[in-house]
Amino acid sequence: MAKVLVADDSETILLLLRTRLEMAGYEVETAVDGQEVVEKLEAKAPGEGPDLLLLDAMMPRMSGIDALRKLRADGVETPALIVSAHQDEGDTASPTDLGIGGYLTKPIDFDLLLNSIAELTAG
Amino acid sequence: MNPSLANRLTIGFAIAFAILTGLAVIGVGRFLQQRQDYENATARSYQLEIAARNRLAHGQGPQAARANIIAQHEHRQALSDDISGETRDTALLVGAGLIAGLTGAALLFSGLIASMRRPLEELVDASGRLAGGDLGARVKVGGLSETAVLGSAFNEMADELQRRAGERDQLDRMKDEFVLTASHELRSPLTSVQGFAELLMLERERLSPKQADTVEIILDNTRHLVRLLNDLLDLARSDAGRLAIKPAPTEVGSLVSDAVKTMRGQTESSQQTLSESVEPGLPLVKVDPDRIRQVLVNLLTNAHEYCPERAAIKVTATLDDAGVKIAVSDDGPGMPEDQLEHIFDRFTRGDAGLTQRVGGTGLGLAISKSLVELHGGTLAATSRLGVGSTFSIRLPPIADLDPEAAA
Repeated sequence: MAKVLVADDSETILLLLRTRLEMAGYEVETAVDGQEVVEKLEAKAPGEGPDLLLLDAMMPRMSGIDALRKLRADGVETPALIVSAHQDEGDTASPTDLGIGGYLTKPIDFDLLLNSIAELTAG
Repeated sequence: MNPSLANRLTIGFAIAFAILTGLAVIGVGRFLQQRQDYENATARSYQLEIAARNRLAHGQGPQAARANIIAQHEHRQALSDDISGETRDTALLVGAGLIAGLTGAALLFSGLIASMRRPLEELVDASGRLAGGDLGARVKVGGLSETAVLGSAFNEMADELQRRAGERDQLDRMKDEFVLTASHELRSPLTSVQGFAELLMLERERLSPKQADTVEIILDNTRHLVRLLNDLLDLARSDAGRLAIKPAPTEVGSLVSDAVKTMRGQTESSQQTLSESVEPGLPLVKVDPDRIRQVLVNLLTNAHEYCPERAAIKVTATLDDAGVKIAVSDDGPGMPEDQLEHIFDRFTRGDAGLTQRVGGTGLGLAISKSLVELHGGTLAATSRLGVGSTFSIRLPPIADLDPEAAA
């Protein structure tokens, strides 16, 4: 069963994402900001980490993009999907060198989300 | 304090008046004095002559008396010559004084006029620039107090205009920023509402039909809210000059058929006919295909929503001298003139009676117009009550665009 680490600053959206992903058969872990994502990944032994990161682009303390930047610098290769509030955000903060597997906008299109997750965790 | 024009004029007049009056008094005084002296001298000469004649009549020294009479004659002749010479001199002196006074006055006034001309010309020039939109136009304050006051009043007015324009720009930016932020902040709760409603619908079989309908209503309204948010966001971006388009050479035919395909399901459910007709051999247009498709879908959605069942809606694409024209027309209810005038205004929607079943935000046409104009094109509407409406997009063909942009 593939493991997904989901980060969003809204508890409600975390609950929504957890519910939908668990219904689709994924194991879900959550974080409320980029800092927590980095801490959780650092605490894990190699091979224990999630198969996919689903990160909100804008979060307090540390954004999803900044967390990904830090993780990539530390050599973490886990595929990632970025959720942004709207197109502008994705456009202005869409670094090509971070190995981002895709962008989703809110409100989330779950068909699109589940397809993207399936593709990125297939290999 | 600058010298005042009125003061200078008063002083100038007073000086000129004093000089001329002085000259007149001196001239007339001197003339009268000379006249008096002449008359006294002449009278004394006559007395002496009479005395000489008396002496001659009494035979007292006739030789000397005769000589004296002749001498007095000559003396009076000399006096007469003198007085006419002196009168002429006085007249000349007064005349010269008058000319000098008038010349002085003329110099004074032309100096005053010259000193006003430069600031006035500067004011005229600056007013022209200010009226032309150059809010930085200012004048140098100086010279006479009148022009100085006028100049500083002008500068104050320009400062105020510039300040207000700045405030207005700042308010506009704040408004755009507010809409962008609000639209961003509203997305998270909206995501939750839509997401959980969808979650309920995933278990539709466990809901009663009434509950399922309720959730369907929530979802419908959520979608409407999303559309409204996206439209507001597009408008705010457009106002802030941040509405981005990514133009690429695009086939008109594929734009039209994509839009028609998107709308087919909706028009068929209302038994409306939806046809497309694209003139063969149309040139490519340089547009952002997503954005122009958005405009076409918006126009078709309007036609679909405002037309009754079994209406005919068609999209035609043609080429004429002005470029490529894509027109969406229908045989629906049409619009009265006064409504057509405001059709591209924000939050303007069709007749209230119809809006009950119309799901629009009232922003679609405003955004469509901005989008088409961003492409260098135009969006226009014609309509006749009871006959139908036509919305025409005009796009410049690629050849009309600058080579760099078309490259």
